[in-house]
Formats: sequence, structure tokens, C-alpha cells
Amino acid sequence: MARARVEQQPATTGTMLVVLVGLGVAFLLFMAFLNVVKTGNLLNESNLLYAALIFYAGAGALYLGFGVTGTESYVRFASLATWAGLLANTGAVAHRWYEAGHPPFASIYEMLLSFVWTLAVLTLIAEKKFGVKVIGTVTMPVAIVGVVLMQLLRTDVHPLVPALQSTWLHVHVTLAMLAYAACALSFALAMMFLIQDKMRTETFLAATSAFGVATYAGILTRFEKWGGLSVAAWNPEQKSEVFLAKGVRLFVVIPDLGFLMMMVLAAVAAPLVLYLVSRWKQDESLINTANRVVFVSILLQVLALVFFLLRARDGSYGSLDAEGLFPTSLAASPFILSGLVGGIFVSLLYLLLLWRREDLERMLPSTDDLDRITYKTIAIAFPLLTLMIAAGAYWANRTWGSYWSWDPKETWAAITWLVYAGYLHMRITRGWRGRRAAYFAILGFAVVMFTFFGVTYLLNGMHAYA
Amino acid sequence: MAGTLRKAGRSIWQTLSSIKTGVILLIIVVIVSAAGTLILQRPVTDPDEMQRAYSPQMLRLLDTLGLTDAFHAWWFVLLLALVSLSIVAASIQRFPNAWRFYARPYKSPDETFRKVLATQKQIAIADEKAGLAAAERAFQRMRLKPEQVAKNHRVSLFAERNRISVMAVYIVHASLLLIFLGGIVDALYGWRGFVALTRGQQSSQVEMHDGSGHTLPFAIRCDGAGQENYADGSPKKWWSNLAVLDGGREVVRKEIVVNDPLVYRGIRFYQASYGSTGKVDKLILAASPAKGRGDAKEIALGENDPVQLDSDTSVRLAEFIPDYVVGDGQVYTRSRDVENPAAHLIVESKSAGKAVNVWLPPIPGFEQNAASPYTFEAKNLQMGYFTGLEVSHEPGQWAVWAGVILMGFGLAVVFYLVHMRFWVVPVLDARGRLVLWVGGAANKNKDAFEERFQKLVGEIESELKVRSEAQIRVQEEETSLAGA
Repeated sequence: MARARVEQQPATTGTMLVVLVGLGVAFLLFMAFLNVVKTGNLLNESNLLYAALIFYAGAGALYLGFGVTGTESYVRFASLATWAGLLANTGAVAHRWYEAGHPPFASIYEMLLSFVWTLAVLTLIAEKKFGVKVIGTVTMPVAIVGVVLMQLLRTDVHPLVPALQSTWLHVHVTLAMLAYAACALSFALAMMFLIQDKMRTETFLAATSAFGVATYAGILTRFEKWGGLSVAAWNPEQKSEVFLAKGVRLFVVIPDLGFLMMMVLAAVAAPLVLYLVSRWKQDESLINTANRVVFVSILLQVLALVFFLLRARDGSYGSLDAEGLFPTSLAASPFILSGLVGGIFVSLLYLLLLWRREDLERMLPSTDDLDRITYKTIAIAFPLLTLMIAAGAYWANRTWGSYWSWDPKETWAAITWLVYAGYLHMRITRGWRGRRAAYFAILGFAVVMFTFFGVTYLLNGMHAYA
Repeated sequence: MAGTLRKAGRSIWQTLSSIKTGVILLIIVVIVSAAGTLILQRPVTDPDEMQRAYSPQMLRLLDTLGLTDAFHAWWFVLLLALVSLSIVAASIQRFPNAWRFYARPYKSPDETFRKVLATQKQIAIADEKAGLAAAERAFQRMRLKPEQVAKNHRVSLFAERNRISVMAVYIVHASLLLIFLGGIVDALYGWRGFVALTRGQQSSQVEMHDGSGHTLPFAIRCDGAGQENYADGSPKKWWSNLAVLDGGREVVRKEIVVNDPLVYRGIRFYQASYGSTGKVDKLILAASPAKGRGDAKEIALGENDPVQLDSDTSVRLAEFIPDYVVGDGQVYTRSRDVENPAAHLIVESKSAGKAVNVWLPPIPGFEQNAASPYTFEAKNLQMGYFTGLEVSHEPGQWAVWAGVILMGFGLAVVFYLVHMRFWVVPVLDARGRLVLWVGGAANKNKDAFEERFQKLVGEIESELKVRSEAQIRVQEEETSLAGA
């Protein structure tokens, strides 16, 4: 059916989107340029980053556009946009490096900068060398979220505290970024494999729904009495969170937001429930209902995002722990924000899959190739992970006098390592190929993301500065 | 009885050496480690915070299970020991086969092998010797070292590359055990402690993290310490000048900074903290005689370290109060920070046999400044600072680093070195023609290997062609000669 729709598309709509995206990019660049003329400073980091964001967004739009219309020329333009974005991103990295006098690895902002850069490089490598042309559909939105997050985080150059003044910092973090980007790529490839392997759309539906449930459940851990939601308070002068004591953040309660999040949770959970019921009752018609619910849940998710943006941006709320009103800001809750954006993005990806499966399959290499490339990226990621941990241990030994102290970040790095070690053992000795291997690669990346973000924000430890 | 024992032993061995056991153990390690990062751990958490976070019953339960110190609990150590055992057992189980494969490479393929090998090709030849010679040249062109193998009066060719790749997985496992070994040695014989020194102080006593003391076989002395700040006031550098005194002699001297410790006899001293002692190191004063003329002279006072002002008079710093307040007929300090300092000097005159209390600044009710034969003016104040040194002894770390290097090497070989083998055997094919059977095998990256194999076949064919063309030319020449 989808194929039939492609044939009905007049050829002109193909150029239409390219022209639109092109115009959009040009417009945004022009507006930025006007701004630059006013301030008279063209090549600074935020401008470069802004340009990178525009190009990555353009690339993302074109990749998605390909998904919607199946026009192959989009992919070529998307690739060009990725190149342009990478160029601007490289400029931003170089500028940061020059300004700070050290490679950009010292804060979570700088690490995101490097991570996005590596991801873009790997995307282009996967595209050119391995022929996985539509990989950007997954990696570009990740890059966009990364750049948007960077806009919210503290950007001022901090001098390095004594513990970070070491060559080993650079070795350790470079290896981490390379390894994590390789893991991200293996995740994207595993997803592509599952699509090409004719995995049933319902399974993706369930996974999408489960992801949404996990995200909103995570957000709702901050649910407060009377339907409020706790978010960190923000000190606009110091551009940092407000701390009650060392490592203890002050939280303010945004009223009613908790109820809204509850509602969205119910909406994103519904497809999963319907899927399970349909499995149990062997009733296929429920899946159609579930697909319709996905639409509703996307609308609700967008509503939640808008509501969150309006309420949390520069509002003032009371706290349960202290008297008076405290301001909050989007910058204080980057992870709620990225959770909301990520949830919408994953749901949209599911819709893409629902509508344009044949086109995606046509653009992808064979399952065997995808399986092999996934393995190859992990074969690159695993030694990098090993060296990253080793470099970290050596550095810790020089700084704190102990190469291993079961700090949460260390422990989770070891867990990541073990998960990939498990993947390799199952693949080599048990001959795990195809789907099971792909699931493993996806699990591995989930653990990587938790190690990278989750540990930093949820668990305290020696890696508190990163 | 003995039979059942042996049987039980064998079944335990088999369970231990199976991949399944290994993976299950790894999953348990993963779960326990994850739990250990989610539950607050006693060694790194304030006792108060533990109380606040969990209810008393919960805390008691967690303590009993050892989950509040999961990474040092006996069952965690047991778990790691089981993982090591499983690695050892799995390696021993599989090693003999791999070793046979490694030590005695399969050089002349038999008929069954030739039939089932996935990558193979047959090339028609006219003559066995010429065919093998052509193959040999083709091998050399592919930078392979061909080896002539004679078996059952039949000569064949064999070449291989990167045979070590077969053993690499054992290298990786051995390296992991080496790292574990280092960890165990450190857990048993290593220790960590803390020593705080002020300038000029020396010590051989280390306070261990569990509260006990440890005496070093030598002493460490601090000759100076300091902090440098960035323009915004955040710390840039902490440093300490340390000297090691062994047997009464100074043997090592080094300025340590945060990432650069001093190492002596396997014991490492790290810059860990730096701060004020709340005590005076040097108070610089200008002292001038109260009566008559005389030049003011500058003196430096340490606490209770009298300085002679003239032949009759001396002064000492009796007390220094960094942040003084007066109350209840006493002068006392509110904090250890130098906020509102006061100095209590005692000026003694030997001939008059009297001592005068001088306070800077003058505090009414305490000072007798007017009675002092000298007046004092504070010029400078140098507070005493201590440098906090983390001391650690990790005799097992060399095994850990050796293991890490070995693992890096092993992983590189495992993932990036392909063991490839090539065979060339002259045989008769199904129709009875003489052919060169060419076979190849690789243990990974098989698509790239396939290309290489095709290239080798191409090389052999072109070698054969050159040869046969040359032969034809010779034959033609012969016929033309004969015709003439």
C-alpha cells in the first residue's frame, strides 16, 4: 500500500521539501547573520553551534521527509546538510578548545559538544563506507537533542580544578566519547537491522510504548502531593542550581504538572497494554486501536512539553523544603526536557516505520550486512571501552591513590563493559546472530546512556563534575 | 563411593566451565553492582544521611544483607572468586583443543575436508610440478610464505598468517585474571590512610581510614605547601614540598601536586587537601621603644617562641585568636577563619621581673599596653597551613597494569588479527582431470577474506597462464625450427 502511495506522489513534491528545508535553513542563517552584523562577531562558538543546529535540524527534517515521501534525493541533500553541520560543529569545537586552552572534555556541556561531533562523523562514515544511507534518521535527532541540551547547560569556560589537570583526562574522555559514539552507532544499526529483518511493527509499538512509560515514570519520580511536579530551583545570577547542602539540590513544586504527566503516562502506556491484550486474546484489531492511541499520545506529549516549557521557563514556585518562592528555569531540568523531547521523537519514529516501511527497507543494506556492521562497530567500541576504563583507573590512581573505588560511574562503566562482553561471548561461542544480537546491542546502548546521563544526575560520586 | 564423588566432581567441573554458568554469574555481578550504586554505601556516606534515607528496619535489613557495603561484602568477594574460577575452568576446558590447533596446524587437507570447506576453487593444470611452482610464486606475490608439505608421497602447499589469533582469547582471559589477582593482593595487603602535616613538621604515623594507626618505616617531612588560585578565586593548584627521611638521612625530595604523587618504597603520597590550621605561622611586627628614641625593628613571632627585643626585654606570642569576641570576661574565638584577629603578646623584662600583657588590637579590660616598654604595630600575618596527604600502598597494582596492557594487546589481536589459512593440493577431479585444489579459511571477517582468496586464485591462474604461454612459445619455436 505504501508503495502505491509513493507512485501516486507527483515528482515535484520531492523538490518541494528540499526547497522548503533549504529556504528554512537560509532564513534562519540570514536571521542569525543579521544578529551577527549587529554584534559584529561572526565566528564565535554560539554562532557556530547555532549553525550546526540549523544544519543538523535540516538534515533531520530531510531524513524524516524521506521517510514520509520516499523520495531518494532527500537523502543526498540530508547528507550534504550533515556535512555542513559537521563543519560548523568542528568550528565550535575548535573555538572552544582555543578559548579554554584545553580540549573540550571538562564539563558535561563540553562532553556533549564532543559527543555530537563524533556522532556526526560516525554517521557520515556509516553512510559512505558501509552504505547505510538512512542511519541519519536515528542519529541526527540524537545530535539535535544534544545541541539543544547544550544551549541550556552552562556554557561559560571553567578553569580546570586541580584534579582535572592531567593528560589522562583527555585520554580518558576522548576514549569515552569515541566508545559511546560507536555504541550509539551500533544501536542505530541494530534498529535498522530489526526493520530490515521484517520484525513486526507491533513489536516496535510495544518497545516505543515501553520507552515512553520508562521516560514518564522517571519524570514522575518527582511527583508531589496534590498533583505537583518537583523541579530543581535555579539561581539565574550564578547560572546554577540552588543547593541546600553539598550535593543536595533545592526543589520547587510546579502545581498541576504532575497530573498532566500522569495523564500522558496513561496515554503512552495504553498501546503497550493493548498490545499485550491483543497477544493474549489473539485479536489483531486491537493493534489498530493501539496505533490510533499513539496519535493521541503524541498530541498529549506535545501538550505536556508545551505546558512544561511555559511553566518551567523562568517561573517562580514554592518549595517543600524552604520558605518563599524560588525561580526555576529550563536549564535546571535538562533531563526532564530531553525526556519529553525524546519521547515525542521516538513516537514519531514509530509512525515513520508504520507508514514508510517499504521505502526504508529499500534503502537499507541486507540483514546480513547490517548484522555484520553492527558487530564491527561493537568490535570497535569494546576495546575503546576497555581502554577508557583503564585510562580512567590509571588517572584515578595518580589523583586519588586508588585505581578502583566502586564509584557509581566506575561501576556503571564496568557494567557496560560486562554487557558488551556478554554480547561478544554469546556471538562468538553461541553463534548468536541477527535479532538476539540486535537486542543485545540495543540493551548495551541503553546502559551506555544510563552511565553517561543517569549516573551523573541520579547518583552522586567522584564524577560529580562531569 | 569414590565413583559418585568423581561423578559429582565432574559435574561440578562441567557446570563451572560452561558458558552458561559464566553468563549467569556475570548477570548476577551486574545486578549486584547496579544495586550497590543505587543503595547508599556506608564507606562513602554520612551516617546521618543513611539514617535519613532509610527506616531503621530497612537499614537493619540492608546492613544484615551487606547491601550497604556491597562491594566489600564477603558474598561479593565470593561472587568475584566464582567468576574467576569460571573463567579458569572454561579456559582449561577449551585450551587443549585450541592448543592442538595452534601447535599442530592442519597442513595437508584430506578428502572430507576438501569436500566440505566453504571457500575453495579448482584450477585445471597440465603438470603437477609446474602447477605447484606457479602456486608457490602466487603465494609469494601475496606476501604469504608457502610451505611444501609432503604426505603419503604427495606434495601440497600450505600458508597461513596470524596464527596467534587463535590463542588471543586466552590472552584476554589471562589478563582479566591478572587484574583480579592484583585486586586481591591489594585487598589483602594494601592499605590507605591519611597524614596531615604543617610546614616543617615530620611524621611517620599514618591514620588509616578505619581509624587505626600505621607506622611507616621512614618519616615524611613537609617543607612547604600552598595553593594557587585562578583569577575568579577557584583553586588552580595545590602543592607540597615533601622530603623523605630514612634512617635519619634525607633520601628523596619532591614537590607534589594533585596529579603527581611522591613514591617511596612502594608507598605513595598524594596531595589530597589543603587548609588553614587556625594557628599562626608568623606574625610580623614592628617594635619601637615606648620611651626615648630608637629605631623600630621588625620581628617575626611564632606561637610561644620568644624573641629578644634588647638585652633586658623579650616578647612572645602567648595566644592568637583568629576571630575574636569578648564575653563573660573572656576573649574567645568564633571560628577558625581569620576574620577578626587578635594577638596576645607578653612582654617580659628580666631586671624588673615583670610581665606585661599586650593586646593587638587593644582590648579594654585585658590590655596593659601603656605599661609596655615597647609599642607594637602589626605588619603582616602568615597563618599556618596544613597539607593533607593521602597515603596508599598498593602492592598489587603492577599486576593490574600488566593485566591492562596484556588485555589491550589481546583484544587488538582478538578483534583485528585474522587467522587465515590457504592450501593448494594437486588432485584428480571428478572427471579424472588433473587440477589444483585451492582452499582457504579465516576465523573472522570472512567477506574481506573471500576477496583475498579470489585474488590468490587469480594470481595462480595468471602465473599458470604466463607459464603455459611461455611453453607454447617454446613449442612454437621448436616446431618452426623443425620446419626449417
